[in-house]
Amino acid sequence: MSSPFGWVWSGVARLRSRVRSMIQRGRLEAEMEAELAHHLEARTADLIRTGCEPGDAARRARIELGSPLMRKENMRASVGLRWIDELAADLRYAVRMLRKSPGFTAIAVGSLALGIGANTAIFTVAQHMLLDRLDVSHPEQLRMFYLNEPRDGVVEDMWGWWDDLPGGEHVSTSLTYPVYEQLRSQNKSLADVMAFKPYGRMTVTIRGQAEAMEAEMVSGNYYSVLGVRPQLGRGIQESDDEEEGSGPVVTISDRLWTQHFGRSPDVIGKVISVNATPMTVVGVNPPGFTGAYSAQGTPDIFLPFSMQPIAAPQELDASWSSSSLLTNKNLWWVLVMGRIKPGVSSATAEASQNVALNAAVRSTMTVKNDSQIPRLLLRDGSRGQNPDADDFGKPIYVLMVLAGLVLLLACANLANLLLARAGARQRETSTRLALGAGRGRILRQMMTESLLLSLLGGAGGLLLAFVVRDALPRLVSNLWAPPAFSTNFSWPIFAFAVAVSIATGIIFGLGPALQATRVQVNSSLKDSGQTVTHRRRGLAGKTIVTLQVALSMVLVVGAGLFVRTLMQLGHVPLGFRSHNLLLFSVELPEKLYPKLASTTLLQRLEERLKAVPGVQMVTLTRDPLISGSASNSTFIPEGQSRKAEGNPSALVNRVGAHFFETFGIPIVAGRGFGASDSQTSRKVAVVNESLAKTFYPKVNPIGRTFETGGHHPYTIQIVGVCGDAKYYRVRKSAEPTYYTPYAQQDDGMHGATFAIATKMEGQAFLPSLRDAIREVDPNLPMLDVRTQDEQIAANLRQERIFAILTSGFGVLALVLACVGIYGVMAYSVSQRTNEIGIRMALGARPERVLRMVLGEATWMVLMGECAGIGAALGLARTIASMLYGLKPWDPATFGLSSVLLLLAALGASGYPAWRAAAVQPIEALRHE
Amino acid sequence: MGPGKHDQAQDKSKELLQGTLDMLILKAVSLGPLHGYGVLLRIQQISGEELVVQQGSLYPALYRLEHQGAIASEWGESENNRRAKYYRLTKLGRERLGEETEKWKRMSGIINGILKTTPEAL
Repeated sequence: MSSPFGWVWSGVARLRSRVRSMIQRGRLEAEMEAELAHHLEARTADLIRTGCEPGDAARRARIELGSPLMRKENMRASVGLRWIDELAADLRYAVRMLRKSPGFTAIAVGSLALGIGANTAIFTVAQHMLLDRLDVSHPEQLRMFYLNEPRDGVVEDMWGWWDDLPGGEHVSTSLTYPVYEQLRSQNKSLADVMAFKPYGRMTVTIRGQAEAMEAEMVSGNYYSVLGVRPQLGRGIQESDDEEEGSGPVVTISDRLWTQHFGRSPDVIGKVISVNATPMTVVGVNPPGFTGAYSAQGTPDIFLPFSMQPIAAPQELDASWSSSSLLTNKNLWWVLVMGRIKPGVSSATAEASQNVALNAAVRSTMTVKNDSQIPRLLLRDGSRGQNPDADDFGKPIYVLMVLAGLVLLLACANLANLLLARAGARQRETSTRLALGAGRGRILRQMMTESLLLSLLGGAGGLLLAFVVRDALPRLVSNLWAPPAFSTNFSWPIFAFAVAVSIATGIIFGLGPALQATRVQVNSSLKDSGQTVTHRRRGLAGKTIVTLQVALSMVLVVGAGLFVRTLMQLGHVPLGFRSHNLLLFSVELPEKLYPKLASTTLLQRLEERLKAVPGVQMVTLTRDPLISGSASNSTFIPEGQSRKAEGNPSALVNRVGAHFFETFGIPIVAGRGFGASDSQTSRKVAVVNESLAKTFYPKVNPIGRTFETGGHHPYTIQIVGVCGDAKYYRVRKSAEPTYYTPYAQQDDGMHGATFAIATKMEGQAFLPSLRDAIREVDPNLPMLDVRTQDEQIAANLRQERIFAILTSGFGVLALVLACVGIYGVMAYSVSQRTNEIGIRMALGARPERVLRMVLGEATWMVLMGECAGIGAALGLARTIASMLYGLKPWDPATFGLSSVLLLLAALGASGYPAWRAAAVQPIEALRHE
Repeated sequence: MGPGKHDQAQDKSKELLQGTLDMLILKAVSLGPLHGYGVLLRIQQISGEELVVQQGSLYPALYRLEHQGAIASEWGESENNRRAKYYRLTKLGRERLGEETEKWKRMSGIINGILKTTPEAL
């Protein structure tokens, strides 16, 4: 008889009724009024008909129906309006209460806003750096090719990222181009396999203006495998990548299109010059596309691999012949990505590709019997290689934990404030309970208040995070590089802030609300509030404050550790002078300056720059100092034989003749470089003290020779020993390093960083430098202008960010803890006014009272500090790898933090203590 | 202000009759569209003047049934030419009436059986 989904229809009807009664509230009220009025009329008429007096009849009808207010209330409840009305009433009451105590509201909302804002900001950074995926179609189907290579394997020459694994193995993502070609043609287990390479910077000349831009080299099927559709024109296609030089085309990024072409549609077909090679622009990439390497990359031009030998023949090692990298069987450099085929599991594909890799390596290279071929792994490619996750993963988690602690502190403050307020409104609550309100109803009202506070705090926090959003990418990228990520505020961030606010309001409002409704109605309505509950309430507040002090201890210690790390790093001796040195880099296209022509140009630049007024000394280096990158090379001292694999190596830097004077590195034995060290004279090198100690422990290295070079070895004679100088990171102490004059590079040098010793100010000085460069070559842009100090600061960027952020957290923690202590002490004093009055009446002196109150506060803080020290030690041990020059349990930091907290606490409880000491016994005894 | 404690007590005692009241209202309305007062009179009438519904619980029950979709309302003109809200039974309500009737018959059968039990039957 009944339809199967009766309850569904009923539910639908209920929903419709609810919505209608909410929207048409006024009409509903009028209808109820009219309906009841009609009922009364009809009943009255009936009663009159049966003989009643009209007035009597009306009265009787009204009595029978009962109070219209009650009836309407019940009717509203039937339609489900009661909870809405109650919610509205609660909100109005909450707003009124908050307006009446602006100080309370300001502190609660303010501290919550800071806590939630900090968390939202860190979450934004985390989301962009760690979670953002590539803006391609179905990124979860992409797989990145990783290689696990043994120490003595076939991979000898590599250009790309690699990392150490436990057990002596390395992991990398680079393959040789011939191996990639084989993998692609033999591929059966993946939908397709493509290759790409973030190539570094190329000189791009648009309308006569030369600039250096990040380039990505791609295979013909790159766009089809990624599923990226250009917003204008076309992508790189197979025909562009067929043979060497067959595709002189580029696609450009949306940013390049905006900045240099004004988003005009006739950019398609324009010819620009890339490393002095004319290329036609055939397409513009969609705005969110960041290349395949990572979601934070900013490549501006994309060109096919087929153009590599022409536009970007890369000179990597003096011993390499500048052959095309595409036919080079020994250099591992291209990154490979594939898309999984539906129906084939990742594991199957990985196994199949491993077999293919083995076959490819054996057929393209000569593999010795005991050489091991790397093992291939297919890892998730939805974020490309995502290098930032490795660099930033741990620091971001640490920051999130710290920001979480700050929020916890703010929430503890909220809980304490709510507790105090509930205590103050005790009488009101008891009255309500006595009048018949249910405890649940009062609980609901108090929760509404705390939720309102927390949502206001959340809104404030979101606003705060929005305001600082532009500063966030700056935290993780160099000053002279484009920002690491776009600062769009996305839904996940908004949802995060809302969720945190709601959770805060519920969790930290529930405790105080429950305690408030647990009052004994009888005793709290009496005049004196001296019951058992009072003592217990004080304890809850004190426990919370003790926890707050513990949390502050952790945050202050953390801040101290990071600040001291930064200070240590700032004062560590570098081994060279870093002040008053201006740096800039140049990239010389091989096409314009083949081989030794580059050396000649660099020498001309050196001379011309020396002549600029204000310049004291000029030199140049292959790798700038403290830039995070370095070169190394085989180093076989004379007398030792060269092994097949596993030869010793040392760091190397190719430098100008005046390198040692410009950087202030002392020559402790022998000589530095001079004009006599030229392309035609004997190859020489200067080694640093570490190298001398490592390779020539008890003998004089001067005059001895060593062999270097990969496939075309040559010998170099040592002519001098210099002092140790840090090379690529401030944190790393000097390693064995040797320096050679760049003039002696057989194939020239195509990338260099100039270092200019000058006392002149940067801004006014640069134009004269630029003019000097333009005289030598008008098309050579000056890249990355910065001072050596700025370069070092950039290397310490992460430490500095941490020092700044954790100091901010530490200060915030101190302030919140002080607010908490002040609140609790003030409340405690106000509750104990009676007791203090009695004590003073019995003869206690004001100083005694003062000591009593301060002693109570000190006791609370000491307990908190003890509780916090354990957690602080735990934190310190976790971040030990991020510290420098300190032990994790650094006594100075811990000691200072304890003292600081104690002083802050005493300061905060000063005013309540003074108030307590100033109590007049007569007033206090009257105070009930 | 919400209902105080004593009102809740009254409601509790009426809960037992709530189900039956709903059923009676549905039955009354099934015989033809009625306004609130009319429902009251109709129930009185069809019960042979035995049952007088508490006027206080009438309108909340009507609103509840309408909220659940068992009856639908529209404004019309009453006997003495005044505007009144008329309720009629919906398809959902017809089904509901049938279910409630079945339940009542079953329940009363069971209770009858219990009351008929004699000490000898145990």
